[in-house]
Amino acid sequence: MATLVRSVARSLRRKNLSSMYCPASTLQSHATSFGFKDIAEEEKSKMVGNVFTSVASNYDLMNDLMSGGLHRLWKDRLVSKLNPFPGMKHLDVAGGTGDVAFRILENIKNVKRRAMQDVLDDDLIEETRIYVCDINPNMLGVGKKRAEERGFGLEKSLVWVEGDAEALSFEDNSMDGYTIAFGIRNVTHIEKVLAEAYRVLKRGGRFLCLELSHVDIPVYKDLYDVYSFSVIPAVGELVTGDRESYQYLVESVRRFPPQEQFAKMIADAGFQKVEYENLVGGVVAIHSGVKF
Amino acid sequence: MYRSAAKRLLPAFYRRRQDAVSCIRTLAADYPTRFMTSATTGNIPDQNPIPVNPIPPSSNPTDSTASSSWKEEERTRFQDTDEKSSSRTKRPKAHYKDEEARVLGASLSHVLRLGWTETAMIAGARDVGVSPSIVGSFPRKEAALVEYFMDECLERLIDIIESRNDLKNLIPSEQVAKLVRIRLEMQTPYISKWPQALSIQAQPLNVPTSFKQRAMLVDEIWHAVGDDANEIDWYVKRTVLGGIYSTTELYMLTDSSPDFRDTWVFLDARTKDAFDLKKTAQEAQRLAEAVGAGMGGSVQGFMKRVFTG
Repeated sequence: MATLVRSVARSLRRKNLSSMYCPASTLQSHATSFGFKDIAEEEKSKMVGNVFTSVASNYDLMNDLMSGGLHRLWKDRLVSKLNPFPGMKHLDVAGGTGDVAFRILENIKNVKRRAMQDVLDDDLIEETRIYVCDINPNMLGVGKKRAEERGFGLEKSLVWVEGDAEALSFEDNSMDGYTIAFGIRNVTHIEKVLAEAYRVLKRGGRFLCLELSHVDIPVYKDLYDVYSFSVIPAVGELVTGDRESYQYLVESVRRFPPQEQFAKMIADAGFQKVEYENLVGGVVAIHSGVKF
Repeated sequence: MYRSAAKRLLPAFYRRRQDAVSCIRTLAADYPTRFMTSATTGNIPDQNPIPVNPIPPSSNPTDSTASSSWKEEERTRFQDTDEKSSSRTKRPKAHYKDEEARVLGASLSHVLRLGWTETAMIAGARDVGVSPSIVGSFPRKEAALVEYFMDECLERLIDIIESRNDLKNLIPSEQVAKLVRIRLEMQTPYISKWPQALSIQAQPLNVPTSFKQRAMLVDEIWHAVGDDANEIDWYVKRTVLGGIYSTTELYMLTDSSPDFRDTWVFLDARTKDAFDLKKTAQEAQRLAEAVGAGMGGSVQGFMKRVFTG
């Protein structure tokens, strides 16, 4: 009897989640979510930390396997939306492996090659700073190693910082751009992260967030659910021997607020011209806002 | 008076609406294969700088319900966290659209050196103390700058039409030529970079806006002349003047005579041709009517004879 009640409760919860209704109030209650599990606030960062420590070494391989290589295109799109420029001060949060930072750096150097007549550019390009901030030293380690492999080992523009997105160590009004790719889902307080982003950005600075999001197209959504709940944890187990981390991944995506609601949270943090763009029908969304 | 006030609001409105529309259009055209959608959350309070919203609120019922439920959430949030509410009181007053206009205005001074480019806009943003990052949020980059310039010129032209009385004493053909000349003279400081602006306007994504801006310009000139035709003539007149304006604009690009003297001669000749053409067309129309009436009479007579006989 008890098991029956429990299974009914579970199926109800599933249903509730699949309707993608996830009010903001639940996100900032004292109990927070770790995937579908409800846990105490203090535990989340530790548990997320464990997940990323365990997946760091295979992080890129798994990204390629899970997204079919699409995550490269998504990150390209993010950077092209950011529109980097020489002399930019940029902060990439939760970007430990440097994927987004390398793209920004390459983009800036490309822009320079595209015959910009401005003579000041040479000085400006020296002033460019891309801060890569990640809470997890293992992920930063992967990023530093990859920077060396890519020939960015001596690059002054790349600065690796270990830090918490909810309490950044940067000054107010010091950044031109802020990106967070596949990271904001894992934080304990989304509002605090947004408030910090708002704080460090200059007037006119832009906030961009690339995140796995919610699919709303009927049949496609079912396919996507099957894929994420059956295929991804299995592949994760096969490659890394760690099923739980990937189970957490797909569950945390379902717990993340849907596009419209997240856009409102960004606007609530003070950003203007808040927009979002769905990629691949909402599997990923890029949210953007401007600070004034 | 009322009309000109409305006109003054219109360019801004058009620009705004174009932003929303073009954003989606850009995506659709750029990435047709990637299967994506885009949306702007429009109903966030304190974001619309113009109090008079041309779109009635009832047109989007789902949005309004969404925003009301959001407000409820917000209220609970207020109670939840005190530090949050204190940070909300520091909400900035600057509006995105105003800042965009300020950046674009400052960018114009760099156009001569850097062209109608992102570089010019980045330099403009630095001038007004806004992070150049903002350029990335302009929907069609360089086109935003060209369109801003076109809107500015139109507003200046409207001001001139209202303030200068000597124009009203001229005959219509001279009035038209004069106004086209005043408008084109606004472009002379940028003449070396104007071909680039034209090529930006001619890009498929930008054509709808540039076409609309030109249509508004031509409309404004005809109204200044006091023309209120509302038949097929309306289209003919606007097409003809659009043609005159554009050909003169192109002529100007290769004109090396001092103060563009050749251009103005060319413009006067084309305007005169057009007004002559109008006269010719009217004469031809009257002739056709007369012939038609005559023909009709004879046909009627013929029919009558057939039926009676």
